[in-house]
Amino acid sequence: MTVADTKFFAQGNVYLPHIAVIEKIVEETPGVRTYHFNFKDEKLRKEFTFQSGQFAQYSVLGTGEATFCISSSPTRRDHLEFAVQRVGKVTNALNRLGVGAEIGFRGPYGNSFPIDFLKGKNLVFIGGGIGLAPLRSLIWNVIDNRDKYKKIDIFYGARTPTDLCFKYDLEAWDKDKTVNMVTTVDRGDDSWKGKVGLVPKILEEVAPSAKETVAIVCGPPIMIRFTFPALEKLGFKPEQTLTTLEKRMKCGIGKCGRCNIGNLYVCRDGPVFSYAQIKDFVSSEY
Amino acid sequence: MANKKVNKKDITGLLKEWGQQFAVFAPSRESGVAAMAEWDGKDTSFLDWYRNTVVPPKASFLPPMEEMFRFQKGKEGYNIAPPPKAERSQLLFDVRPCDARAMAILDMTFEQALEDPYYLSKRKSAILVGLGCTNPCESCFCTSMGVSPAESADVDLMLIDIGDDFLVEEVTAKGKELISKTSGLKEATKEDEAKAKQARKASYDKVTRKLDTGGIKDKLLASFDDEEFWEKVAAKCISCGICTLLCPTCYCFDINDELVKQEGTRFRSWDSCGFPNYTKMPMENPRQEKWRRVRQKVCHKYEFYPMTFNVIACTGCGRCIRLCPVNWDITQVIESVPARTEAKK
Repeated sequence: MTVADTKFFAQGNVYLPHIAVIEKIVEETPGVRTYHFNFKDEKLRKEFTFQSGQFAQYSVLGTGEATFCISSSPTRRDHLEFAVQRVGKVTNALNRLGVGAEIGFRGPYGNSFPIDFLKGKNLVFIGGGIGLAPLRSLIWNVIDNRDKYKKIDIFYGARTPTDLCFKYDLEAWDKDKTVNMVTTVDRGDDSWKGKVGLVPKILEEVAPSAKETVAIVCGPPIMIRFTFPALEKLGFKPEQTLTTLEKRMKCGIGKCGRCNIGNLYVCRDGPVFSYAQIKDFVSSEY
Repeated sequence: MANKKVNKKDITGLLKEWGQQFAVFAPSRESGVAAMAEWDGKDTSFLDWYRNTVVPPKASFLPPMEEMFRFQKGKEGYNIAPPPKAERSQLLFDVRPCDARAMAILDMTFEQALEDPYYLSKRKSAILVGLGCTNPCESCFCTSMGVSPAESADVDLMLIDIGDDFLVEEVTAKGKELISKTSGLKEATKEDEAKAKQARKASYDKVTRKLDTGGIKDKLLASFDDEEFWEKVAAKCISCGICTLLCPTCYCFDINDELVKQEGTRFRSWDSCGFPNYTKMPMENPRQEKWRRVRQKVCHKYEFYPMTFNVIACTGCGRCIRLCPVNWDITQVIESVPARTEAKK
């Protein structure tokens, strides 16, 4: 169980949002956008802190609230970012907002990637689609402290080349000689020169060593379901595999009930879990 | 500790006196179903008809619908303001021990990690006055869930019917303080105490429905993936949600916005894990099938809550049995969970 810092509560009430202003909008794919934002309140803008892996509740006031992770890295704090796929009520309302529009923000909530546990180890990042959003916060965090970690592999896949999110990051990591970047798509096109195939299959082909390694997985549930067994085949123990989960949430703080996997609430006990923590329930609840 | 007593004829006066300090809530049928409602200052007929409310008293602290804040868009952007706090604290009169225990169970959720200001501000300032059951329902199984129908440590004051009077037990310091400022109470005699003891036992013995919950947490864990079992358990459920909405330990809520011109309200409202939309996300729903939702309801109470808080989130109030339109019965379900040593996959 983790406890968020109460000093970031608006008016001392955990349910009240802070007002934030959209500073920039990046079109990632035809359905996915990244929003850069900052708090309206100057003091909060300076003092606000978070850790890679944490999430927040974002409001389009009058439409409602939705849950997204903070996709930027705490090592790069001139603004904050979140990325969304336009699929529901709030994400569609967000889509109608432009730069300068005000949104509500409350958080950060949830636990985070266990930085101390990851230090000194090899890291294998495995992402699919917009699931790269929480991973990129950690990836940049790790790259900005490169000497504290050993080998870094990044596996990232999307359905088609057009569906690849954060293309500017993929390029940067591909150029980075200290990182092994593997990008794959389910279906290529004429200009696609990278790998073709589902992420778990490519992962098994490249077969990163499990020795002194932690795998960090985030993607659509279907990818997660097939990636866990693939990692087990490669010798990764359940304790060596981390994931960050997404469920429908309303409160974000372990009260409203709906984001549980077994006895664990994704908001209160996660969103970062080891496979060991959730394996009893994950087969039928995720 | 010397207990007090109050004559049944003096209840109106007692509530009037308490009404000067508190907003007094008592059982009422005014809304069409029995629920705690603000006392009208005269009617005490509930002392005759009242067995338990249909709407559990949790509604006093977690209302079916509750404003969280208002927002307004002005020239300078959004302005957000929480609702003003209630002027007077609540005094709930005639809470049953099962429901008082249920609120202690709810407190665990609303207090843990980050505190819920709406629930706790009302709950912490409230006084609970319990009333012992003399006529439990056939569906009640509180004694199997560690609750005694005419005894409670989860209220501030406890009333027990001893004939012409109610014995008034001072359970908490808060209750004791209230009594010290209350006029018109008499000292209870040894004879009154003996009558109360008898009444407690008589009530206890009247609860005939029993449920064996031994090892239930592990049994449910082992049966979690037994789809056939859960399909059978869920077969007649119509997903109406009543067993959860009116459960005194259920706390799930939804949060929504309402916007009229430029003025908006964010409110929360009771929700149920029985509803298909409860877990629905735009791209998928982990509990689309009914059996998964029924499994969640049963396991949340008898497996997950014990895993987190070391207590079963059920007090045997029997509402889910009494109020179910298709006679779904939690006690039958719990007793039918197979005793396995290995998890069924």
